[in-house]
Amino acid sequence: MIGRELAWRVFAAEFNSSRLEIKGEGEKAPSHLVTPLGAMINRVLLVGVLTDIDNIGTEEEPLWRARIQDPTGTFYLSSGQYQPEATAALAKMQPPKFVAVVGKCRTYSPEEGTMYVSIRPEKVQVVDIAARDFWVLETCQATMRRINAVEEALEMSPPSAEELVKLGYSLPLANGVVKALDHYGEVETQRYRHMVVDALKFLLPEMAGPEVPEHVSDIPEEIEDEEEGPSADKEQVVLGIVQRLDKTGKGAVWDDIVSEAGKAGIERDELDEITNSLLDKGLVYEPVLGKMKII
Amino acid sequence: MNKEELAPHVKEIARVLGNKVDESRIEEELDNYLNVYRVSLDTAKRSVVKNFGGDPNALAKGNRRKVADLKGGEQNVDVAVKVVTANPKEIEVDGKPRPLVYGIMADETGSISYSLWDPQRIALKAGDVVMVRNGYTKEYNGRVDLNLGNRAIVEALPQDAVVADTTVSTPMAMGSGEPMKVAQLADGMNNVTVTARVLSVERKEVGEGETAKVVFQGMMADDTGKVQFSAWHDFELKPNEVVKVSKAYVKGWKGVPKLNFGERAVVARLSEDSMPDVVSSRPKPRTIEDVERVGGATDALIIGTIVDVKEGSGLIKRCPQCKRVVQKGACRLHGKVDGYPDLRVKAVLDDGNSTLTAVMGRPVTEALLGMNLDECVRQAKEAMNAEVIREVVEEKLLARPLELRGNVLNDEYGLMMIVSEASPIRVDVQARAAELLAETEGFQ
Repeated sequence: MIGRELAWRVFAAEFNSSRLEIKGEGEKAPSHLVTPLGAMINRVLLVGVLTDIDNIGTEEEPLWRARIQDPTGTFYLSSGQYQPEATAALAKMQPPKFVAVVGKCRTYSPEEGTMYVSIRPEKVQVVDIAARDFWVLETCQATMRRINAVEEALEMSPPSAEELVKLGYSLPLANGVVKALDHYGEVETQRYRHMVVDALKFLLPEMAGPEVPEHVSDIPEEIEDEEEGPSADKEQVVLGIVQRLDKTGKGAVWDDIVSEAGKAGIERDELDEITNSLLDKGLVYEPVLGKMKII
Repeated sequence: MNKEELAPHVKEIARVLGNKVDESRIEEELDNYLNVYRVSLDTAKRSVVKNFGGDPNALAKGNRRKVADLKGGEQNVDVAVKVVTANPKEIEVDGKPRPLVYGIMADETGSISYSLWDPQRIALKAGDVVMVRNGYTKEYNGRVDLNLGNRAIVEALPQDAVVADTTVSTPMAMGSGEPMKVAQLADGMNNVTVTARVLSVERKEVGEGETAKVVFQGMMADDTGKVQFSAWHDFELKPNEVVKVSKAYVKGWKGVPKLNFGERAVVARLSEDSMPDVVSSRPKPRTIEDVERVGGATDALIIGTIVDVKEGSGLIKRCPQCKRVVQKGACRLHGKVDGYPDLRVKAVLDDGNSTLTAVMGRPVTEALLGMNLDECVRQAKEAMNAEVIREVVEEKLLARPLELRGNVLNDEYGLMMIVSEASPIRVDVQARAAELLAETEGFQ
């Protein structure tokens, strides 16, 4: 029996750093993209924010390009007539949306040494924030497992898939790690560990930058020290401003936000802090530089 | 393919045809398919068998294995090996002497000990390179043995067909009498020690007449999972007591490990509060990989995301006579029938490390849809298309992280869970993230 290719959980930053493709030998043998941390990807599952979508084909023969953002970067999707289900689903979507994508990876190498990776979706589905958060958590766990596997393998000379399996890693991962080390050399695991830490903080609003009071406190609000950081109230004010100024649906212009916030008694420095906090929480995003839009 | 290469396949076809057809005729036909029509070997063999009126399904399914991959309790094993040693021996069966040959066989992945139970029918000598078909394996004292019984077939292969590596030792499996958790039990294990709580037990009689036996069947559980057991001796097991069973063995049914123990086993009783309440508590989540490793599971809880909803999900019709799914108004067995409506889902659950097929019946599907069968029928009628229900299923399930509970079987298509309960995940994402963050930052 030929098993179904599993759907790997990888962050965009790791996925997009991949430069090694192993072509399947023989008829119908699947190809795999090997990431620097040894994920052997044929299929992925990703959940993020759909930020852009364009039909660069024609109406009769659509070819959709879409971008999906996760806490570490952007996934690039391309879906045409050979992905009828995903193409039909994408045609109906208005960004921004939380979406889940099941898809296969594609590579493009215009010249020796460069490689662009993208995703050809099989399924695209609008999901809720809970599904996104769970995916981020799962992907943090999966990435940490790969980091650990790479670090264990670096201790071995030479790295051996068999030894990794004995340590409890799955066979596809063990094979992937050995191939990754062979191709990428010594992988900077510390960089990826930082990426995971940032993604985990993304899930924990109280850790991501300024404090946001989570639970209702017994102390009357007046006593709260305003210097501590943006309060949830002020975030609401800024959210309101962004929404009000976004008349075109393409985002509110940054300079207008600054002047409106000023009128509401929010200084520039504080505004920066508030918008950073909103960006971290995934409540707003920047569709283009200098504009801000509510998700 | 030349004559020499064709020979083992000709022999196999002749065997399937009951040796009633002349081998030269089979060879001619097979040669025609392969070298004139150039179809694949499998297709050619099936066609030839069919042309001579035989059953193509009787051809070896090609359970081609490598020695290193063999585990205990496998059936219909095909393996190409070199006979390293062949020692004749006489054993006593029912008071009568019986010849036997034992020794070691090897391929490039390793070596395995074997027993040939019918040396009068099959001759083996050291140095032979052969294809063993329909062998079976057993595990004894942690060692896997290959058995050539009365169904076994041995076909000669060219000397260079197998490069034997006798330096790799016989595969070993767990089961050295060390205590094991229920979730670790796998098909073919011997000499197993498990401590578990008896959840249920029932006396049953199996077989008839002289071969009739009494067996005590039921369910046991520890904190890692549940397992069905069969006690072939009356240990006076009672529900809720905690027992330590030693010298038990594990047999798989469709991959689901089942614990067996007979007279030789030792059953010790432990105090009832020596184990937490495993009856009413929800099973601990297990990974798909973990279940895969042991072949299957009883009442397991698995967390994953639905990545595909297969065709034939949603509102279907079943044959009133055999309950098979009716396709295009016809049952595969009973032809045109007036099918009755039913709901089911066949989906792929993926946890990022492995996948399984999840099959959900009507109650589970209704719960997930938040809609009962009648409502589905009504909506399908309104839309004049049953497919709309499949679309609702996709919308509700696709990309959803779910907790699925049920028995996990293993067949030729891989792992399959018969889902008894499906619910949204109950993972506290923030708490888990905080834990992981502490672990990860501790490293820096």
